[in-house]
Amino acid sequence: MTESQWELLWTSLGPIVSGALTGTIPLALTSFVLGLAIALGVALARLSRVRVVSGAARVYISIIRGTPLLVQLFVIFYGLPSLGLLIDPWPSAIIAFALNVGGYAAEVIRAAILSVPVGQWEAGHMIGMSRAQTLRRIILPQAARVSVPPLSNTFISLVKDTSLASLILVTELFRRAQQIATFSNEFMLLYLEAALVYWLICLVLSSGQNVLEKRLDRYVAH
Amino acid sequence: MKNSRLALVGIVAATAIALTGCQSAATPDAEGDAGADTSLSDVQDSGTLTIGTEGTYRPFTFHDESGDLTGFDVEIATAVAEKLGVEPEFQETQWDAIFAGLDAGRFDIIANQVSITDEREEKYELSEPYTVSPGVVIVGKDTSGIDSLESLSGKTTAQSLSSNWYELAVANGANVESVEGWAQAVALLEQGRVDATINDKLTFLDYKETDAAGAAGLKIAAETDDPSRNAFVVKKGESALIEAVNDALVELRADGTLAEISEKYFGEDVTE
Repeated sequence: MTESQWELLWTSLGPIVSGALTGTIPLALTSFVLGLAIALGVALARLSRVRVVSGAARVYISIIRGTPLLVQLFVIFYGLPSLGLLIDPWPSAIIAFALNVGGYAAEVIRAAILSVPVGQWEAGHMIGMSRAQTLRRIILPQAARVSVPPLSNTFISLVKDTSLASLILVTELFRRAQQIATFSNEFMLLYLEAALVYWLICLVLSSGQNVLEKRLDRYVAH
Repeated sequence: MKNSRLALVGIVAATAIALTGCQSAATPDAEGDAGADTSLSDVQDSGTLTIGTEGTYRPFTFHDESGDLTGFDVEIATAVAEKLGVEPEFQETQWDAIFAGLDAGRFDIIANQVSITDEREEKYELSEPYTVSPGVVIVGKDTSGIDSLESLSGKTTAQSLSSNWYELAVANGANVESVEGWAQAVALLEQGRVDATINDKLTFLDYKETDAAGAAGLKIAAETDDPSRNAFVVKKGESALIEAVNDALVELRADGTLAEISEKYFGEDVTE
């Protein structure tokens, strides 16, 4: 490393971190929260006894998991305008990511709900709770604990996937690094720096996962 | 906190790898005291010239109806490889990653309408130009108020990151949205998401040929003063290779190959 490379590493850290704070993190958080809401709805729909409802959920999951995220982003951003629907970069990105998370997390949540022993449902009925009450008060809290590790995976993947938003004009962490690389011609250095920042973000998220797991342990019947 | 200690070790290790990696990549002169410049003999020994190109930039580098990679740059690079007595092997990569690919040794040379700029001459070896053409400012048909480069000030344009047009737009005070290439730039322009895009005149003329409906909604608002001169690029220090490429270009010009390829794509000689 030459002195000027060290200096570049240092001066580019500000813009890259600010790209993380103004792009990557809000993008990931917003779309994850929305995506979880979608996922819960889709998971319940998938478990529904009404054929049409569970069928629709099945199709949605299949499309999301069967097509690349990049294609989903491009369809929403570049494709919808031909139908007269012009959505700005940020909302386009959030819609695409939320729908994507919705498809993947729905299966996680469904599996988590199914993992709660049938006896827990029966116990709910025994004390006079309706199906909805049992679900909300007994099943979902336990399913939540089960789903924390796989949902954390989804979230961590999402954080890195947001780098794709750079392709539809959202300036986030990776785009910042590319922009600086362009003018300094130091591509490898800046890609590695970006990688390091992504890694640090994900380290923080992993430790958050540990805390969450411990807190939710109290809902689980032993 | 076993986790965080592990992470710390990991970060230190990764940084070390990164730094040593950069060390070798950063050595600008392959022909320093490390020994002679073997760039040409390496290519000749391997029998192939690996060429980095986009494959999505019509009419310079693109896939024809049968799916084969072709185009103005592809044909000229192929002719150059033949003059060097080696087989051309194309590696397709996104424009944004093309210089990183060269730095990383994924290919020997870039053939992708790279314009000659001071910054690039400082960091790479550039050949003699094989395309000379003006840049144009393209706007929607009904756009008014943009009639020169200067009038781009405060307007939004779409440009490929790390292209010379990007820098030109920035230099004229435009807000630049960075895109992957011409296709996205045109889409943004047609969708009204940007006010203009600057690109090669040849690219726009070709677009008119191939997508008359799309081009009908666009017009040229201004032309740049000095034409861009586009060249092949190799790593710094590989002067033996770039000299051989220049010799090949001289021969191809003399025997009419350059003019012939140019006529085929543009109906005129744009190679000088």
